[in-house]
Amino acid sequence: MVIEKGKKKKIYTGLKRSTRIIRNLTLIIPAAILILMIIVALFADLGWIGLPDIGLAPQDPNATHPRDKLLPPSFMEGGKSDYFLGTDRLGRDLFSRVIYGARVSLSVSLIVIFITALIGTILGILSGYKGGRADAFIMRVTDVALSFPGLLLAMLLWVAIGPGYWTVVLALSVLGWAGYARMIRGESLRIRESDFVAQAQVVGATTWRVMFKHIFPNIVNSLIVIMTLQIGMMILAEAALSFLGLGITAPTASWGSIVADGRTELDRAWWISAFPGICIGLVVMAGNFLGDWIRDKLDPRLRQL
Amino acid sequence: MTRFIIVRILQAIVALIGITILVFFLVRVSGDPMALIASPNLSEEQYQKIKESLGLDKSWGEQFWIYIKEMTRGNLGESLIREKPVTTMIGESLPNTLKMTVPSFVLSMLLAFFLGIMAATYRDSFWDNGVKFLAVLGQALPGFWVAIMAVLIFSVYLEWLPVAGMSTPAHYVLPVLTMVFFMLPGMMRLVRSSMLDVLDSEYIKLARIKGLPERVVIWKHALRNALITPLTIIGMLLPTLVVGAVISEQIFNWPGMGSMILRATFERDFPVVQAITVLVAIMVLGVNLLVDILYAYIDPQIRYQRS
Repeated sequence: MVIEKGKKKKIYTGLKRSTRIIRNLTLIIPAAILILMIIVALFADLGWIGLPDIGLAPQDPNATHPRDKLLPPSFMEGGKSDYFLGTDRLGRDLFSRVIYGARVSLSVSLIVIFITALIGTILGILSGYKGGRADAFIMRVTDVALSFPGLLLAMLLWVAIGPGYWTVVLALSVLGWAGYARMIRGESLRIRESDFVAQAQVVGATTWRVMFKHIFPNIVNSLIVIMTLQIGMMILAEAALSFLGLGITAPTASWGSIVADGRTELDRAWWISAFPGICIGLVVMAGNFLGDWIRDKLDPRLRQL
Repeated sequence: MTRFIIVRILQAIVALIGITILVFFLVRVSGDPMALIASPNLSEEQYQKIKESLGLDKSWGEQFWIYIKEMTRGNLGESLIREKPVTTMIGESLPNTLKMTVPSFVLSMLLAFFLGIMAATYRDSFWDNGVKFLAVLGQALPGFWVAIMAVLIFSVYLEWLPVAGMSTPAHYVLPVLTMVFFMLPGMMRLVRSSMLDVLDSEYIKLARIKGLPERVVIWKHALRNALITPLTIIGMLLPTLVVGAVISEQIFNWPGMGSMILRATFERDFPVVQAITVLVAIMVLGVNLLVDILYAYIDPQIRYQRS
């Protein structure tokens, strides 16, 4: 055997140093973006803890300034320092609107994620553990829910119960559980065959007890992974609804509706549509990268190569 | 196999009935649709007359019965606002939607398969990284925003492409690309991972060992097997297709089904919304059924089941 000289003997540490740094960065950057956005959304104003005068948003997002219509961002020629990202056609401060928009986008998606995860987990475990007819029925409904266009349902609900915050939440929740149900069912099927489940059954544990004391703790990791990956999906879905006018009603700002507002002013004021879209892209990307990172840590089996 | 298909068809019919009932009552829980149509200064007599002509004076049960009866005859009701049968409205707008969605779908699938296979075959190459980058962007940026930025660049600043309408081939470029942006990234990723799975299998190793040219290994042996997974989830592309069509039609003023149903929603024209929802439900169930049958045909465990 020829030993190459001049090469230092390397100690195997698992991964290359550069790979490790990149791995860490794919956690730190997305997490920082998400935390920043959550802080921005929470502290846009402090009205909710009785301090309406303090907040991150420099202005009231709905205050109009008829003299300052369609001003460019302050860093561009012709911009005013009062309006960091410029103003829209009613002279509203775009920066403040984007900050308040974070509130709608993030709160809707987080609420929907919790509702759908709850329903999906219960149905998924039930389906996987009980099997038989319950399983067949739940999975058929899941198939339909997975392939039914959520947008149509949102329209239907818009007609049926009128526009509003909770209409959006409902529209996204009614079909959103299906992805969880399918995934969790698969996991439950696998865990059902474990010895500890058999032992629990032998000592007479009830179905509910087996489902939630024995199966549930073993699917928590997968659940966290899916929930994180859903942040981006839900923000995109909410933005699409707001963009089409099926979301939160005007004048409340949401990222999707600000992009829609800017459509008619594209030739004069590109910034109105551009900036909220960049925010959506950043947050969604952050959510997806964070989800990928958590998946690699907790549940590499879910990886799609 | 026959038994399996019959059971699936029956299940689809039950699901369709369920959805129809749900949709019918959902659009009516908002209260009296008359309040939305009739202007407040109508006399009591006129009000009743309109109500009768629309069949709204009958009970929900009766209305539902009439609705089902008419639907089996191919009558989907009449628009409250436009006073046209919904079927006529669909007849006017569906061709326009198809003119946009069909090329988009075909283009997306061709690109998805080509790029996905190239990325998997030349793993970690320039191709692969490009595809991964495109997938990351495609899954993070909102399609409507990308479309508007494309309008900003290609129509407003460069003035290369028109924004609204559908009169010349140039009008098709941006709407079709918008829809491709919606459909391509997910499908491309799936083809790539499916192909990677297949390339890792024993029979591909065998094909290589016995000295087949790489071209034959990839495009004949691997491709056939890599197609199965993406084909079976084509049903799940429907929601994306609908969202893409509605958004694309909205942005580019395309006179198709998407614009029509969006307008009907804002006008609270519930017979139109209801009819289109039921039609889409039929489509969804139909596609799922086809995928099930296709899957049954591919999967020998089901294919050889005794009935």
